[in-house]
Amino acid sequence: MDLVANNLSYKPDDQYHLNEVSFNFKEGNLYTILGRTLSGKTTLLKTIAGLLTPDSGEIEFDGKNFLKIPVWERNVAMVYQQFINYPHLNVFENIAFPLKQRKIDQSIINEKVMDALKSVGLLGYENRKIQELSGGQQQRVSLARSLVKNAKILLLDEPLVNLDYKLREQLREEFKNLFSKGLADETILIYSTTDPRETMELNGEVIVLDEGKVLQVGPAKEIFENPNSLKVAEISNDPPMNIIEAKISDNQIRFEGIDVEAPQHLSKLTEDGLKIGLRSSDIELNENGHEFEVELAEISGSETLLHLKRGDTKIIVSIEEVLNFKIHDKVKINFKIDRAYAFHADGKLASSPFGGLNG
Amino acid sequence: MNFKHKYFFLFPGLFVLIGILIFPIIFVVRLSLSGWNSYNPGLDYIGLENYIRLFTDDPRFWESFFRLSFLSVTTVILQYVIGFALAHMVWKDIKFKRFFRVLFLVPMMTTPVIMTVIWRTFFHESLGPVNDLLSVFGVAPKWLTDPVIAKFTVIIVEVWQWTPFMFLLLLAGLLSLPKEPFLAAAIDGASPVRKFIYVTFPLMAPISIGAIIIRLIEASKIMDTVYVLTSGGPGTSTETSSFYIFIKGLREFQMGYAASMSFTYLIIMIISLTIIAKVLTKVLLKE
Repeated sequence: MDLVANNLSYKPDDQYHLNEVSFNFKEGNLYTILGRTLSGKTTLLKTIAGLLTPDSGEIEFDGKNFLKIPVWERNVAMVYQQFINYPHLNVFENIAFPLKQRKIDQSIINEKVMDALKSVGLLGYENRKIQELSGGQQQRVSLARSLVKNAKILLLDEPLVNLDYKLREQLREEFKNLFSKGLADETILIYSTTDPRETMELNGEVIVLDEGKVLQVGPAKEIFENPNSLKVAEISNDPPMNIIEAKISDNQIRFEGIDVEAPQHLSKLTEDGLKIGLRSSDIELNENGHEFEVELAEISGSETLLHLKRGDTKIIVSIEEVLNFKIHDKVKINFKIDRAYAFHADGKLASSPFGGLNG
Repeated sequence: MNFKHKYFFLFPGLFVLIGILIFPIIFVVRLSLSGWNSYNPGLDYIGLENYIRLFTDDPRFWESFFRLSFLSVTTVILQYVIGFALAHMVWKDIKFKRFFRVLFLVPMMTTPVIMTVIWRTFFHESLGPVNDLLSVFGVAPKWLTDPVIAKFTVIIVEVWQWTPFMFLLLLAGLLSLPKEPFLAAAIDGASPVRKFIYVTFPLMAPISIGAIIIRLIEASKIMDTVYVLTSGGPGTSTETSSFYIFIKGLREFQMGYAASMSFTYLIIMIISLTIIAKVLTKVLLKE
């Protein structure tokens, strides 16, 4: 049972929320929609759920016109980024709600709810009031509510974004376990996120969305290794990929008075306006390297993000340890240039170290 | 902090409260123990005589009280159902939403006494437009002079007059509800009807209780409608407690006896409204 969309467009104001979005989702697969905030992820999920009607385009599921089916008959489940539950019901009643909407025997409801509670680790909380739970627990309740109805399409709209760091890590792990436990056998799982790391970890098919437009579709690894444009490279990396305006001549990449020997996959690109892309993790501190000035040093978790500057070129370097720098300190860095990407002036990928469009 | 002067600042408020609330209640209690009437105006002391008369020798008071209970409960239930329906209708995005919201409030902006005079003209048995219209079908109900129908006439007028207030409270309540549970309910497979039963109505329960209690208190004072529409008639068939107390106190000047009725009425109302509030909370909020 495939979920197929054709040229979905939605333009409620002067900006496209969805711009000719098409896809073909197959059952049993996990799809990740990756995009920055306001890129149209939520709009797309709401359109699939039936909470929004697109201006044009079609959605077909199981060969039927999905847009003609009202929300409550679509058999989809959705987890929102805000923890949405029923404030007037307790945990058990919340999870039982979707089942109560169909004619299902009370004993089966009890069994299913208990199973769902177990799978999200909330056993023993069934009589609690929703307001008495923490954010993470509330989100688990809404996850359980979406699991319990065995929907054919499960939509998860940035389910981890409003949780604190620790809970996010923990729930992400549980999600992965749940998804791999055969739950997805006949389910289409659609997960939207702004976090590239989450995307890579979930390791499904990725749809990169920006300003309502699909930029690239492919397995997570492919998106990571061969982003087809500058924009995808920015969206699929956190911190965003460093973009350096450079010129390649005589087998040397030249910028800001620095000459770096060009690796083989870049050596033949001699056009004007070329942009070199390099991940923040592909730059390292090195005594014999090139001198940059520290603009800002932020420590996030166990890594340090260095914002560096030389002339007009600004780059971000991430270092896997906690280091203290002051503003205007001078540091020396080295580029792992064989991992560099090249993009044409119009933003299209010119060459990647993983063999995309070698040329 | 030094709170030595707090009583000084509390005094103006307390003074007003004592003047308009506490003193009158105490005075009514004292008055009810006196035989004050037009022959014998004065605060003498006759013990519980008035109360004994009320509880043993005045079925008219109790009849008027049960009539009042019937009228106020019926009107409030009707107001709640109609008010909720109207509020629910203009809560959604419909055409001319603003127009309807204002339209439904119009009865509240009119003067009740004047509107009742107009209703009386409407329901006039031989000259009113209602019976004029009904004469097409060959019927001419005695809207104001049949003991049973007159009660329903009072109910119609009361419902027309006060449904807007209920509508206003319930619309405010609906507009203050969180949107998220409705999104969730749609996704969870609840059709619009089930959404109303399982989400809207339970979420509205606390507001409903408040609105019903406020309207019950108001409705139990029904007086102007009855006064203008039927003057309690025919006979005593639409007479309510407050109207009867008014007759005894301000028409026949049995001040002492009217005071004992007022005080009894107050106590009964406090007790019964407390019980109603408790029951409503239990039924609607399941607490």
